[in-house]
Amino acid sequence: MKIMPTLEGGLRIDLEDDGDWKVLLGIPHDALSCDESLGRRMGSLITDEEVAPDWEEYIIPDLEEAFQGELSHVATAVAAARVECGGGAGPLWITRDDADKWYGALNQARLALEEIHHFGPGENLNPAALPPDSRNAFLRSQFYCAVQSLLLEYVMR
Amino acid sequence: MADSDTSTLTRTDTALDVPWNVVVHDDPVNLMGYVTHVLMKIFGYDEKKAAILMMQVHKQGRSIVWTGQREKAEFYVQQLQAHQLKTSLEKSE
Repeated sequence: MKIMPTLEGGLRIDLEDDGDWKVLLGIPHDALSCDESLGRRMGSLITDEEVAPDWEEYIIPDLEEAFQGELSHVATAVAAARVECGGGAGPLWITRDDADKWYGALNQARLALEEIHHFGPGENLNPAALPPDSRNAFLRSQFYCAVQSLLLEYVMR
Repeated sequence: MADSDTSTLTRTDTALDVPWNVVVHDDPVNLMGYVTHVLMKIFGYDEKKAAILMMQVHKQGRSIVWTGQREKAEFYVQQLQAHQLKTSLEKSE
């Protein structure tokens, strides 16, 4: 898989085979892998008793809807591009308009993996020392982070 | 029959609203550049101010990024949480 910025201010991802498509299809899967939803995890930070009930009733459902929207957008974009290429080699484009949703979906995936595996900052982490499940999750998280960095550097600024 | 008068007494109490702090907490996932980007986008801070607040989050574990009226503070917290930054709300001491 190769990722490069486009002249139009977006990103182009060149996928080589079905394995590459599966990596991208894993984004929404990872994002939803945590027992507690991201909206609830965010809501748990609101502890003031004057505010918490309204947060529970009104804000958490809005957050959940927004987060689900990002995942649906990415899942649909990957599925459509995959069909167009017959599951083989081909491009996927992330436009400037799509960038926030892609960044958000990748972030959801990383937040969920962090919640499950507790990698921490990651700079000093040795993947070889992790159990296989966690190692795979860490490498996926690093890949998602690399795409996020490209989005931030070339598209979102 | 005696005449009756009705008088109305109006009292006004004025109490100062307690200001609320919008607090962003450190986490190992959100990229430093993204936190700066979100603070600029939501509060309209310039890059220098947003970067200072981001570094406070990174080094001290948390930063009060805005203080003011409750309704507006709630709105900002909702916006920051929608951008997946760990954000809480607290009464200012």
